[in-house]
Amino acid sequence: MSGAQEAALAAEKKDIRSRWLLSAPALLIIFCAAVGPLFVMLFYSFMAKGDYGDVKFGEFSLDGWTSVLFQRDIFDDTLGLADAHLSIIWRSLQLSFFTTLFTLILGFPTAYFIATRPQHTREVWVFLVTIPFWTNLLIRAFAMQQVIRNEGLLNNALLWLGIIKQPLQIMYTDTANLLGMTYVYLPLMVLPLYASIEKLDFRLVEAGYDLYATRFQVLRRIVIPLVKPGLIAGSILVFIPSLGAYVIPRVLGGGKNMMLGNLIEMQFGSGRNWPLGAAMSITLMALVMIALIFYVKNASRGGAGHA
Amino acid sequence: MTETRTTAAHGGAIGMHGIQKWFGHFQAVNDVTLDIRPNEFFTLLGPSGCGKTTLLRMIAGFELPTEGQVLLDGTDISRLLPNQRPVNTVFQNYALFPHLTVAENIGFGLKMLGKPKAEIDGVIRDMLKLVHLEGRGDNPVTQLSGGQQQRVALARALAPRPKVLLLDEPLSALDLKLRKSMQMELKRLQLETGITFVFVTHDQEEALTMSDRIAVMSTGTVRQVGSPWDIYDRPAERFVADFIGETNFLEAEVVSVSGKSARVRLSSGAEIPATFPADITPSGKVTIVVRPEHAQAGAPSPASLLRGTVHEIVYLGTDTHFHVRLDDGTAFTVRQQNARSGHCGFAKDDPIGITFSDDVAQILRD
Repeated sequence: MSGAQEAALAAEKKDIRSRWLLSAPALLIIFCAAVGPLFVMLFYSFMAKGDYGDVKFGEFSLDGWTSVLFQRDIFDDTLGLADAHLSIIWRSLQLSFFTTLFTLILGFPTAYFIATRPQHTREVWVFLVTIPFWTNLLIRAFAMQQVIRNEGLLNNALLWLGIIKQPLQIMYTDTANLLGMTYVYLPLMVLPLYASIEKLDFRLVEAGYDLYATRFQVLRRIVIPLVKPGLIAGSILVFIPSLGAYVIPRVLGGGKNMMLGNLIEMQFGSGRNWPLGAAMSITLMALVMIALIFYVKNASRGGAGHA
Repeated sequence: MTETRTTAAHGGAIGMHGIQKWFGHFQAVNDVTLDIRPNEFFTLLGPSGCGKTTLLRMIAGFELPTEGQVLLDGTDISRLLPNQRPVNTVFQNYALFPHLTVAENIGFGLKMLGKPKAEIDGVIRDMLKLVHLEGRGDNPVTQLSGGQQQRVALARALAPRPKVLLLDEPLSALDLKLRKSMQMELKRLQLETGITFVFVTHDQEEALTMSDRIAVMSTGTVRQVGSPWDIYDRPAERFVADFIGETNFLEAEVVSVSGKSARVRLSSGAEIPATFPADITPSGKVTIVVRPEHAQAGAPSPASLLRGTVHEIVYLGTDTHFHVRLDDGTAFTVRQQNARSGHCGFAKDDPIGITFSDDVAQILRD
């Protein structure tokens, strides 16, 4: 008996070893491409900044981390809150939140519409949703610019219709950022939502109506709790890239409506403050992490136990 | 439980008048007129695709009739939304809300109706008792067995005290033994609550055991409506006779008609009385049916109504089936109960005589 047990244990050990061996290449790539650079960033964030970019190796400094939130007064060298950084972080959080909200509001009916089409037409609709991904993000950002600029499609149409007398200044505002990001990230919301709604058993919707629920009650009490996994996935997929958005605020927000991504880029470019850039990047990751934990915790409450 | 009985003692009457339903170019229901009485256990029976579920869905409000009216206690409800009809459904695969507990599922309808919480809790308690699920209220429905889920689905549909309860093949997912006990259970619930039950099934045995009346359907039309006895013993047409139970078809010729009975001459020359559906007057060549268990096999004698040879003998424990080839070539089956053990007295290729009493033959509509 014990001989057989030992043999089984040995086989299991061997199995585990071969599994590690098989996944080694993937683990290596993940380490080199993702985990490794993070440690480099962490390391850089604790170094003193070099005069022309880069860092002074071996010279430990907390300046990078303190200047994420604080700045030294030029005259008396006291520490004060870095208002510019704080407002950029706050704006990033706000814009990301509203982008998530708007993609949700636009994406949910879209996904619901696609999921309720007959089987063969659904694929066509999903295909149509993915078309924007064919073009580069930068080009899509400029396309958006063509629509919302002062002499753009939108303003010209509104002027022609006589709804406005003066062109609306949308470019280089937070509204422009919001419009651009909502447009760009919408498919990331629609696709996971669609995958969730497609799996929804529509007899449950019928059962809801049968039990005297109104349309709104069916949506709130049956559909939304059941498609929550898609709702969470879509929100995460939109919120995270929104928080680190770089191209959209650069093209549509101009210089003055920076987001965190632009601020970080600046530290590595014209700002020549690599430690600060590194510290900010890690801050951004932490923000994402906190937002995720908060969101998932909140979202899983109520929809208890349902996968 | 007594409370449930007294407060929901009035089942509603459903009237369906000239119902037609088209799905594109497919006609699912063709001119159905039915009256379902209050407090009745009414079954729509038919093979799949006969339109029985579509009919049920039109009572529930999930489908609107292309033409015709659905009446509830005389009021036209054809155009009302499902949530405006005092009618609830037990769905084929239960359609329980997987994210809610047993109690939340049962209370869903009342909650949507805006009833106070105390009342809802009371009804949930009553319902759990009614379907023998006391103490399971806080369980997630996903952890229940098929039979228990079935009970929750029933309780959920009964909780708002509908005037009519619709059941769409609710037992088809259960195994045989559970199905049998649920049949008794359903009948008990119907009697206890006094709610009109409209039950859809393709299982003839289910229909016969539970129903007060049955409507047999095929290809979108109602073929016959009647008590289980009517449907089984007095089928009006070939489809009904064939769909329910086993039966023998015989060619015959009408000799005379008087009142509710006719005399027909069989191919063997024997003349027997036969009943016929009320809406026809039989004449000329007709088809009559005789159930296998209504015929007796014996040695050929002058009293034999039909003669033939034994083609095959099938022993089934409780019964023996004699498959007989009649002298005119038609096949005829006699089912005889095995009263005592031992040999049945016939062997293959023996000549055999068949008799049956005066009240078993029924003439079919063409």
